[in-house]
Amino acid sequence: MALSTIPFSGLGADASNQGVNFRNLIINGDMSIAQRGTSQTGVNTSAYGQWCDRWHYNGNSGTYTISQSTDVPTGQGFSKSLKMDCTTANASMGASEFAMMRTLLEAQNLQHLKYGTSNAESLTLSFWVKSNKTGTYCVWLYQDDDGRSISQSYTINSASTWEKKTVTFASDTTGVIDNDNDRGLRVNFYLGAGSNFTSGTLGTSWQSDVAGDRAVGQVNLADSTSNEWYITGVQLEVGTSASDFEFLPYDVNLQRCQRYFEILSIKQASQENEIMNMISFNASQIYGTYQFRTEKRNDPSLVVDNGTNYFRYYRQGGNENFSSIGLDNSSLHQASLYGTGLSLTSGEGGFVRWVNNASTNDKVAFDSEL
Amino acid sequence: MINSVEKIYSVIDSSKFIYKIIYENNKNIFVPHNEANRHYQEILEWVAEGNTITDNGGGE
Repeated sequence: MALSTIPFSGLGADASNQGVNFRNLIINGDMSIAQRGTSQTGVNTSAYGQWCDRWHYNGNSGTYTISQSTDVPTGQGFSKSLKMDCTTANASMGASEFAMMRTLLEAQNLQHLKYGTSNAESLTLSFWVKSNKTGTYCVWLYQDDDGRSISQSYTINSASTWEKKTVTFASDTTGVIDNDNDRGLRVNFYLGAGSNFTSGTLGTSWQSDVAGDRAVGQVNLADSTSNEWYITGVQLEVGTSASDFEFLPYDVNLQRCQRYFEILSIKQASQENEIMNMISFNASQIYGTYQFRTEKRNDPSLVVDNGTNYFRYYRQGGNENFSSIGLDNSSLHQASLYGTGLSLTSGEGGFVRWVNNASTNDKVAFDSEL
Repeated sequence: MINSVEKIYSVIDSSKFIYKIIYENNKNIFVPHNEANRHYQEILEWVAEGNTITDNGGGE
């Protein structure tokens, strides 16, 4: 990351909490980045989807349209929020049913929390939230390496009104977050929880995770198709007080998201557009390599929308359609891709485009999400 | 939900392979053999549930 600290002139004693210093542990807390798309209907299983980057729906209760919204708190500097709109209700939740929106934090970015030592830091979570469904909501932090967790609740007081909420989580002097590229901390915003997750006492101190202590008192957002829940300005920072939201430039925010999801090419509306250069490896396959813009968290998966004659290979003054792109190999910095089902002369060079058999917003992309 | 998983060998180096997941919605994802990859973890869970990866061997 090119930026480290941008000093804020004329500071008082509160200098450490001003300017840009990447104090927010949440990536894309302002919901400004949505590489996969801006709205997805029919969400009823766990997924990263066509809404704000780094935010993962996890659950088995209700069906939702999840989107990047322009409904934001007035005068706070935000331009986007994440919206959950219940489209199929589940008014009577089963014991094991739940719904949550969450973001997962990479362990090596959390070492300064000093968890597992006597110097472990407290964490403060602040965010703007709005819902017609008033009442108690729970935020559950889960630390993967030791299976430990802590919860706090917040209350939506006024229906359909943006409210800023702040909750503080105690430090954990017991559990150690490993210094690696795996899951370090899950920040889970419960939106509904069956009795398996509400039967105990809300676990407001770090403990070995007890399911029944996770979301005591949680309302059920899925009890009506009239229900909506919006969130933006999510900031998790060291300490016991919340500072102003740390806005990052769009390009910096995008680059941080691309560590976990990077698009090679998107099919544009009503036009052919480029994917990458490839060369014929044998009589039926073409190969090419792609250098990632941003180093990936781990060897990424290839996510590709394949379909009959979605692609066209241009070479030697001609072209040929084909239907499938696959992954040969991927690492932190590059991937080798191939196309199959062509009639070729080995050694011919060319390039690949989407053609109009593919749908607008079809993608070739790489996923290394947590 | 995963519908099937196929092991696909590299044409360039047949000792290497990746996995192709086909989901019930026909979405395809190509997954490296890497335990830190979340889709690979998904495959392991799917296999643990009693499912079998299709392996047609190396070569084209």
